[in-house]
Amino acid sequence: MSAPLPELLAPDAAVKPVAARARARGGWARGLRLWLPAGFLLLMLGACFVWPNIYTLPNPVRGSVLEAGLPPLSPGHVFGTDPVGNDVFSRILYGGQISFEVGFAVTAIGLVVGGLLGIAAGYWGGAVDTIISRVLDVLIAFPALVLALVIAEGLGPSELHVIWALSVFSVPVYGRIARSATLALREQTFMLAARLSGTRGWRVMLRHIVPNITPQLMTFSLLGFGVVIILEGALSFLGFGIPLPEASWGSMIAQGQQTLSASPDLVLIPSAFLFATVVSLNLLGDALRERWAI
Amino acid sequence: MLALTAAACSSASSSSSSSAAPAANGAPRAGGSLTVLEATGYSGDWPDGLDPATNIDGAADQDYMDAVYGELFELGPKGAVIPDLATGYSISTDAKTITLNIRQGVTFTDGTAFNAAAVVWNINRDLKSACTCKPTWPVKSVTATGPYTVTIVLSAPDGAFIDEIFDSTADWIASPTAVQKMGEKAFAVKPVGAGPFEVVSDTLSSALVLKRNPGYWQKGRPYLDNLTFKSVASDEAGYEALLAHEGQVYVDMSTPSLLQQAAKNSSVEVENQLSTSPYDLQLNTLTPPFNNPKARQAIYAATNFAPILQHVFDNMYPSVQGFTGPGGICYDPTASGYQGYDPTLAKTLVQQSGLDQVTINLGTIQNLVAQETTEALQTQWAAVGIKSTIHAYALAPLIAQFTSGKWQSMVQTAGSFDPAAGVGVGFRFSSVSPFSGVHDPHLDSLLNQAAALTDMSQRCALYTQAANYIAKQYYGPFYFAFAPANVAVKGVVGPGLTQPLPAVVVTPTVLWEDVAYSS
Amino acid sequence: MAVAEELRPGIAARVLGSPSLRLAGRRLLAAIPVLWGVTFLTYVVMNLLPGDAAQELLGANATPAEVHQLELQLHLNEPFWVRYGHWLAGVLHGNLGTSVVNGENVTTILGARLPLTAELLGYAFVASIVLAVGLGVLAARKPNGIADRFSIVVSMTGLSVAPYVLALVLIYIFAVRLQWFPAIGYTSPSVNLAENLKSLTLPAVAIGFPLFSVYTRLLRADIVEQMQREDYIVTARAKGVPPWRILLRHALPNSMFGLITLIGLNLGTLVGAVAIIEPIFSLPGVGAILIQSISDHDVPVVEGIVVVFAAVVVVANLLTDVLYTALDPRIRYERSAS
Repeated sequence: MSAPLPELLAPDAAVKPVAARARARGGWARGLRLWLPAGFLLLMLGACFVWPNIYTLPNPVRGSVLEAGLPPLSPGHVFGTDPVGNDVFSRILYGGQISFEVGFAVTAIGLVVGGLLGIAAGYWGGAVDTIISRVLDVLIAFPALVLALVIAEGLGPSELHVIWALSVFSVPVYGRIARSATLALREQTFMLAARLSGTRGWRVMLRHIVPNITPQLMTFSLLGFGVVIILEGALSFLGFGIPLPEASWGSMIAQGQQTLSASPDLVLIPSAFLFATVVSLNLLGDALRERWAI
Repeated sequence: MLALTAAACSSASSSSSSSAAPAANGAPRAGGSLTVLEATGYSGDWPDGLDPATNIDGAADQDYMDAVYGELFELGPKGAVIPDLATGYSISTDAKTITLNIRQGVTFTDGTAFNAAAVVWNINRDLKSACTCKPTWPVKSVTATGPYTVTIVLSAPDGAFIDEIFDSTADWIASPTAVQKMGEKAFAVKPVGAGPFEVVSDTLSSALVLKRNPGYWQKGRPYLDNLTFKSVASDEAGYEALLAHEGQVYVDMSTPSLLQQAAKNSSVEVENQLSTSPYDLQLNTLTPPFNNPKARQAIYAATNFAPILQHVFDNMYPSVQGFTGPGGICYDPTASGYQGYDPTLAKTLVQQSGLDQVTINLGTIQNLVAQETTEALQTQWAAVGIKSTIHAYALAPLIAQFTSGKWQSMVQTAGSFDPAAGVGVGFRFSSVSPFSGVHDPHLDSLLNQAAALTDMSQRCALYTQAANYIAKQYYGPFYFAFAPANVAVKGVVGPGLTQPLPAVVVTPTVLWEDVAYSS
Repeated sequence: MAVAEELRPGIAARVLGSPSLRLAGRRLLAAIPVLWGVTFLTYVVMNLLPGDAAQELLGANATPAEVHQLELQLHLNEPFWVRYGHWLAGVLHGNLGTSVVNGENVTTILGARLPLTAELLGYAFVASIVLAVGLGVLAARKPNGIADRFSIVVSMTGLSVAPYVLALVLIYIFAVRLQWFPAIGYTSPSVNLAENLKSLTLPAVAIGFPLFSVYTRLLRADIVEQMQREDYIVTARAKGVPPWRILLRHALPNSMFGLITLIGLNLGTLVGAVAIIEPIFSLPGVGAILIQSISDHDVPVVEGIVVVFAAVVVVANLLTDVLYTALDPRIRYERSAS
């Protein structure tokens, strides 16, 4: 999608002056900027993963056709039902599970695989760097969505395939950030000291590089998480992601779109949750960046 | 029903002029531009162009074909056969020789003469084409036996020939000169016919811009100066476009909640058409699991359509057990021996046949109604232990699924204005059709006999037998007699828009030459 | 004045200076394997798609002999590398193959649709850049002022909203309710320019709003940083040069580099954006045919589109890279290496 390039999106390391001013302004506003989105995300995680195990929700896919098309605030269906009778509220929660699972998996793969590749490229430089960077360049030049669509079409749509497809793109993105961050670190004195004292390569990487670039990667990963959720939604919206009748926010929006004039809430409700989740992730990422003065 | 059948199957030629009378809204006035919206996935696509011999989408694109080519015979209100570019016909008593009388004084829009030779050229070309859309008559010869007379000799009797013409590519006559001069590829994009409109520009599967044919044979027609067809993504997109004044007509709306919404909207009129093609579930009896009759019976017993009809479709359509609908001939909603809903029996049969061991591939067309129906079925079946995955296909990939033979079950529509015609029964249940999952000589003979006769009561009796036989063999359950609606803004009148029409192939053909703004 | 002149030595002198040219040459060499890699990856991935191309092209009534004949012609039975070689040779000669669905030349299909998509993307880009520059400059002028807070809220919204959701909302509000813009369809500019722009406005906003948000954030941050950090700017301010002038004549042009690089890198994601937005608005562009072709397993068309887009992306990145280094090698080269 319009996933902008990481190192240029996360504003440069030096937006400190603004942060300094904000720090001077007052702690409670900053605290709110952190804890409000964090709180919302925790709430969503709890609702999506914990609540269905405690409280029995209507089945998100086995809705009875006798209850088709009920409006929100109907008895037993706080968000109403879709045209085949599935409860919208429970579809929101189960769809949320998918969003978080895919987001987490893709981001984790990107961080670990991409991160390692980036660090290796940055640290060793030379031929290793060239090869890795070229490969990452190729992957970034390739349109993400097309690959995901083709994988879904070729292997069949499923959550796992969505994760594979999106990981192919998160790896180079994290790889590039890790590489730039490593390059920036490489020239610092403590690094030179470590090399001179004969510490082995991978130990240097593990003990010095990783801890130092982690904050930057972590704050970016919150932004990336949001992008992945939107991408998964896009795949499902087009019908190449999570297959019907399983719930996914994207496919709920696509389905709702078909009857927008008659029941706009079928689009508005999943859209609102999608937006709120991604906004919270972005706000949290910004707040952490501010706090850690990255 | 008898009046309908009598009108449809007269064996004397008729020479009345096109009669569709505009409805109550006011007299039609000449002039104006109309934009018609159609949804992709079925009628809104014409990827192969509009050449009758090569347009795989065939009758799905009838709106465009009719506007450009006109028809030899048209199916009008109340099932009347309206002579358009042909003036009449006669069928021999052995139903093997059909004579068509071609209208005189007609020219194609490129100036060349429209005559028997042109018709013969076209029909022979259609028969020789490699298209799955080609006519399926057992033709021995097609010849011009006079400057305006065409004689078709069949090797087997076919009493339903004229009814079958509506669904057939032979109804659309292309200018032979233009095809030869432009070459097939270019012709498909800018076809030349003798219909009420001619092509200004054509962006395949997106927009077809037509203007009035000044040399059209019927004086005073068409009423409209400009007719544009645009493709939209869905019923909703079409409805929004109507509300946004980007179009005046939306053809084939089937989404129930939108229909209800439109009915409440005073700026548009919803015209429900007369169904001739019930929804059915085809089962592929040539491959597992449905080569096992017990498995098929389990499907029948697992399906309860009444609540689906009520809650999803607001009881808008009658439920049926056979392939006939209220808008067509030989309508009979019940079949004797039809296995009805019985969940206990279903569970037993599922276990006996091993249906619980497999996941069924349940296919359908990419259309909201079809998809909702399919999802509801999936839920019902799951309750008795049948697992399934749903695939929704656009028309071209759907055809590919059938031709590959790899499908297991497919929600489709079966039936036509005349069961012998087009997407009739043979299309879905005969041994020779690529879109059928049944190879049963007994059923073939019933259907062939019925098609061969000209006597209506005999034909209907045979069709009843066929429906009962299909029920007995559990070849595929039928659901309800569906017909989509056309939505038009107030002030537009015409057959199909303010007057219901029987559907030829699932969706009725609007007679565009008679559509107008009312004064 | 004197300060200003010092900062921007003649462009001609810079470009002709050999380091830049060598750098450009190196970049070009580096781009070639990337371009090759993309075409190769495309081909590999497309082969994942099942489907008997020859059978589908000829239709159900083709005899096995005919199918076999076509398979020979299209080299469909040969090993992967041979097929890839044929395809690549074709691409290098400008022949992108034939569509499986209707036998048309992929080049023709793309040629017919590319103008629409190009215009749509151009519209989205130009609008988002112009507005981003406007808002970014206003915001950076007074960090934490009203304009700045507004820009933060707007860009946060744009970053977080899904383009497909935005498109639906825009249609509902502006096309159905207000009827200011059409909901569907496309009018060619040769027919009516005003209608053409109207028909592309809503889709351009749907694509451009997220871009605008990213660019605004970047510009704002970059300008603020420069205004407070860069020596030459601090010097200029100390000398009494008015802040607006500094902003517009120095900080902004320098920030544009980062923006241009970002745009170049963004191009790759745009295929995805148009693939989603075009069908929603019933626009017969490249994105719409891409989705259709993937569903139809029309491998040649998909390959053709991907190759063309990837080439555009690689070339665009190459150009921005060269521009970047040529115009200000001292600062930028150091920065991009660190």
